[in-house]
Amino acid sequence: MTEPHIFGMFCPFCRDCLAQGLKNRYDYLDGLMIAQSCLHIRQAYTSWIKHRPVEFDKFLCMPHKVQSPHAYEFLTEEYKVFKNEIEEWTGKKINDKDLENSIKIYNENRRLMRELYNLRKRDNPPITGEEVMEIVIAMQMMDKAEHNKMLKEILTKLKNHTPDRQVGSRLMILGSEDDDTVFMNMVENCGATFVIDDHCTGSRYFWNEVENGKDKLASIAARYIDRIPCPSKDWEERKRIPHILNLCKEWNVDGVIIMQQKFCDPHELDFVAIKKALEDAGIPTLFLEFDVTVPIGQFKIRVEAFLEMIGEEDLF
Amino acid sequence: MEQETEFWRWTESRWTNPNLNWKGKVITSGVDVGSVSSQAVILADGELYSYSNMRTGSDSPDSAMKAINWAMEETGLTLDDLTYTVGTGYGRVNVPFSQRAITEIACHARGANFIYGPTVRTVLDMGGQDCKAIHCDERGKVTNFLMNDKCAAGTGRGMEVFADLLGISINDVGDLSLQVEKEPQPVSSTCVVYAKSEATGLLREGWPKNKVLAAYCSAMAHRIMTLLERIGVEKDFAITGGIAKNKGVVIRLEKEVGMPIMKTDYDTQIAGALGAALFAKALVDKGRK
Repeated sequence: MTEPHIFGMFCPFCRDCLAQGLKNRYDYLDGLMIAQSCLHIRQAYTSWIKHRPVEFDKFLCMPHKVQSPHAYEFLTEEYKVFKNEIEEWTGKKINDKDLENSIKIYNENRRLMRELYNLRKRDNPPITGEEVMEIVIAMQMMDKAEHNKMLKEILTKLKNHTPDRQVGSRLMILGSEDDDTVFMNMVENCGATFVIDDHCTGSRYFWNEVENGKDKLASIAARYIDRIPCPSKDWEERKRIPHILNLCKEWNVDGVIIMQQKFCDPHELDFVAIKKALEDAGIPTLFLEFDVTVPIGQFKIRVEAFLEMIGEEDLF
Repeated sequence: MEQETEFWRWTESRWTNPNLNWKGKVITSGVDVGSVSSQAVILADGELYSYSNMRTGSDSPDSAMKAINWAMEETGLTLDDLTYTVGTGYGRVNVPFSQRAITEIACHARGANFIYGPTVRTVLDMGGQDCKAIHCDERGKVTNFLMNDKCAAGTGRGMEVFADLLGISINDVGDLSLQVEKEPQPVSSTCVVYAKSEATGLLREGWPKNKVLAAYCSAMAHRIMTLLERIGVEKDFAITGGIAKNKGVVIRLEKEVGMPIMKTDYDTQIAGALGAALFAKALVDKGRK
């Protein structure tokens, strides 16, 4: 489906996004926008709007070098342009009150998610990694205020909940875009529990909040500039690795599964340094390259062997 | 007549320890149902008592049954005498009489530790459809491992296809591949399908069979080396699985690794089942169910 438009060595995630767009599965959309993250998804976007034009489209120029001192001002200006464009398109003005209200809802969402993640620090986490992945997927797709309401209900239920299941090895999963709940389920049925993640579609999405300053757009810009970086923006100072090590410590992680989205070069490049940092800290890693076509059995043997390696002293 | 057309058919075998009487001893077993071959190993008080090694059929439980029945043949043992059985390999969850499944990665490391002794640190398991490089400690416990990705290139199955293509018994492939005056360039791909068409081309160019085999064995050794390079080879280095019997690959690999490969009189194909049986013994000793 995507072959005539983007390269075969682009990641399966962006190829899948584009394929669904071309198949008109998103024909209910009025507009489409993207911020600079990587070349693959950006070209998927340009192909999409070229072949399935929408009423409103926008490429937002998120600075790639977030550590540049000019990044805050640059992104704030980009947001101003974007805001004007949205106002022009919808015919509705966005004032500071609207922004403040939205910041409040988004921040509450992030705070509740952090609360949920903190529950996973328990010796017997009240929720599995698979369930958390479902919650994060929902978080990215649904109305935030509605998600907040549901999150509060879940948190109340989970506070005194002690599940009747074997926790086994405490694992972290890290990588890029990953919504593979089938994989999570498989691992958590092999005598392990995911207690923390570092995914684009996981903790990195909501970890830090917008500080509600005087200039609302500047506050939002600062949040995106200062967030836990993905590998494509984690330079020159590498901030992601100490963050990952800290997560391992705080969530008491026994081992880390690195899910490498096939053909995602920034993550593959980061893997070498991450593996070394984790191993220096005495935390074993399992590297898995995932693709849309990998049969679960091939992952299962690797995962089981990994769990036998970090546990199973009984066998000797 | 049929035998002559099935060049891939390697020799199935079974063995019973003539110096051991199992009566009154704790019997544990390990069954390794691989993608190509299945083995059953029986231990009496932790000592190797008997084993069988045969082809895997299309049905895993059935293959497991056949393997254990053959290992018990003429020993007087029945399934009821097995105190604990561990299943391993591709069909590890399909061993009907087993109490537990453990991956072949852990089992091969443990089996290699028994076969080659506690100095083994790197085990290469060259199986029917995959290949694993394993690091282990002095107890045979895995400390790190790496599996080949997704395809069966450069594995036992590939070698079977080549034996068939050239009409040479799989048992002779290794020796024949070494009978070349000058080592030819390896075939450019170990992908079974690509390598097969490349070999067909070489035969058409007039290459003798042994030279084509040398080119394939060399490509296989080379591919395995790329796997080993990723994890590193620590002394002592041992090989398990069917390809360990293929001198054509082993001698070439030894050169690439630049380190002697440990030798043994044991059947290297039983390493997985042997490790499983040893784990079964450990679990019985610790009173696990």
